Amino acid sequence: MAVKTETLGHGHGYGHGVMTQEEYVEQRDLRFLGFLLFLFTDSIFFTAYIFAALYLRSAAPVWPPVGVERPDVNLGAVNAIILFGSGITAHYAMHRLKESRLAGYIWFTIATIILGSAFLGGQAYEYAHIHATWSGSTFGAAFFTLTGLHGFHVLVGVVYLIVTLLQSLAGKYTPERHFGLTAATLYWHFVDVIWVVLFFLFYIY
Amino acid sequence: MSTDTIDILRRAEAPIHPAPESFIKKYIFSVDHKVVGIQYFIVSGLMILLSGLFAEAIRVQLTGPHNTFLTPQQFDEAFTFHGTLMVWFGAIPLVTGAFGNFVMPLQIGARDVAFPWLNMFSFWTFPPAVLILLSSLAFGAPNAGWTEYPPVSLQAGVGIVFWTTAVFTVGIGATLTALNFLTTVIKMRAPGMTFTRMPLFVWASAVTAVLSLVATTALASALGSLFLSHVFNVPFYDPSRGGTVVLFQHMFWFYSHPAVYILIIPVFGIVSEIIPTFARKPIFGYKLIAYSTVSIALLSFMVWAHHMFTSGLGPWVTMPFMILSMLIAVPTGIKIFSWTATLFGANLRLTTAMLFVLGFLSTFTIGGITGVMLASVPVDWHEHATYFLVAHIHYVLFGGTLMGVLGGIYYWWPKVTGRLMNEKLGKWHFWLTFIFFNATFLPMHFVGLLGMPRRVAYYDPAFHGLNLFISISAFLLAGAFLLLFANAFWSLKKGQAAGPNPWGARTLEWMISSPPPHYNFKEIPEVYSTPYGYGEPLPYSAPYNQVSTTPTY
Repeated sequence: MAVKTETLGHGHGYGHGVMTQEEYVEQRDLRFLGFLLFLFTDSIFFTAYIFAALYLRSAAPVWPPVGVERPDVNLGAVNAIILFGSGITAHYAMHRLKESRLAGYIWFTIATIILGSAFLGGQAYEYAHIHATWSGSTFGAAFFTLTGLHGFHVLVGVVYLIVTLLQSLAGKYTPERHFGLTAATLYWHFVDVIWVVLFFLFYIY
Repeated sequence: MSTDTIDILRRAEAPIHPAPESFIKKYIFSVDHKVVGIQYFIVSGLMILLSGLFAEAIRVQLTGPHNTFLTPQQFDEAFTFHGTLMVWFGAIPLVTGAFGNFVMPLQIGARDVAFPWLNMFSFWTFPPAVLILLSSLAFGAPNAGWTEYPPVSLQAGVGIVFWTTAVFTVGIGATLTALNFLTTVIKMRAPGMTFTRMPLFVWASAVTAVLSLVATTALASALGSLFLSHVFNVPFYDPSRGGTVVLFQHMFWFYSHPAVYILIIPVFGIVSEIIPTFARKPIFGYKLIAYSTVSIALLSFMVWAHHMFTSGLGPWVTMPFMILSMLIAVPTGIKIFSWTATLFGANLRLTTAMLFVLGFLSTFTIGGITGVMLASVPVDWHEHATYFLVAHIHYVLFGGTLMGVLGGIYYWWPKVTGRLMNEKLGKWHFWLTFIFFNATFLPMHFVGLLGMPRRVAYYDPAFHGLNLFISISAFLLAGAFLLLFANAFWSLKKGQAAGPNPWGARTLEWMISSPPPHYNFKEIPEVYSTPYGYGEPLPYSAPYNQVSTTPTY
């Protein structure tokens, strides 16, 4: 629904002084800053739990506690490579759209979605096979809370990418106006970066 | 592109809201920041009243040393709800959601906040959160105090699940509001309004938004872990499985110490607006006040453990926290001295708003001094969890935040409603509030120093006399608030029309009609200077420099 909103200053700005509500919310600089602030505040969520994990670690005589095993680092590494790969495809998808190469954009986005889903599958496999439980130990508490929170973010990211893909197939985004895609890609990179920290925290350190 | 062209483009790009057509769009699901602000004002005001009733219940119980008005269990629930409602559902939404929403966009010459729809959404997280919180009363209410330290909080009924969900929900709204405000202040200031030309309330709103963005999410993670501990038996806080309860205190206070600055910094902004208006002078030390706000915000993230001096952290942790906590007195002192210097030699106009601000200055300073006392580790070991602490927090939150907010209500009421309040009634309200506030909370210092612990339903009969005095004063203090309601109703019914600028103030919100039209500014103003240059022409482009700055009340 395109609500016409009146503006003053005829002859300037979008549509010669008359702007639709959609055009208004597309004001890129506002939404870009808002989205960056959202990512920032979201990162605090992870930071607090990472602090909690380190605190619990410092309170434990041995880490992981006796009777608890670390998750398999090989599986974790494969999963990490899959996720970082999806970051690369997401980056190229964005580029293709900016270059008006729609087919390339679509294929790279589909690749990102598949890789993201593969990561989630790998994580589900890991949850099923790990020798630790959420309520059994502080290592399990930190591991399942943080990777679960991260997995939830990946899930949201996959859904977000599917939505933007469908929207762009419906012609919503153009090489000039594609804030929704920019946000989805930024979000995806953010989720990638968080995984670097979590991988180090639970598989190596 | 020349600066002129950019300015014209900015003006063109700021859209005028389509006028809301239906009742629901106008008053219920409104995207207008002014309506959202009023909605926040009403709901958070109701929460403060409800919270006040819990406080009065506490005081009724404490009229006698072994009173049977409340059971110890109900007493615990009463102070838990008093604190929870006051902090998250009363004061924070009031100073950010209500004052920030109504005043800040007007002061920067914007037509709305950056994301009007998100603003509406933020508000509508609030009433459901209230319902969730209150429904916990029926399911084993939380009773470990507003801080909800484990393990006590995990031993209560399922009420803690409701409590965490409710505070989490209201926190989502607070975070989104902060995101919205920060984007608005950074991106939507009127042309020419540089950072150092912003009104001080805008500075305060922006800094509060930063605090809120960092801290509220940290609180969300603390609440989340408490929720998981209760529902999924996750051992964060269970020492028998390697957890530690001190972790919760760290996570909680990393939020909740900045939260006290979320509560007070907007009030610093309100005070900084009211004082120059009624002193008829430029504010002393504009930049110092602005930058000290920023430094308070930075320091506030480095002092959280001063709430935990009795939690056994060890001297190498408590010492730096003690020093950093005392350091906060420096930027706060800069503000107090700047305000006092503004008053010095001024032709003061003692309106109700100004009286409340002068009351704020005296009571907040006392609260600040007891704060420095409590920041000292040895003193804190002695006074922690006594009524001295209760007295301190009420001197800063009631004598500080609420006193300043009452000043703000009397100050902006004509702008919001278009009508003046009754000054005579307002002055009665001020004097009764000021006298009974001090009568209520000053003796708490004494019983606290004598060793009366807080959060206990019974007490040693030796404290009876002072407690009875405190309770009676507290009832009269509550009674004083009836004058505010009477005044509000009187003003809405019979109040004199305010005109655009009854106080002769100089910030942008006073340059348009009262109440402002839904689009605020027909043309986005240009700003040439700071707003506080009393005696100089108004620093705005026409037609916004036409309003008389002679007080008309």
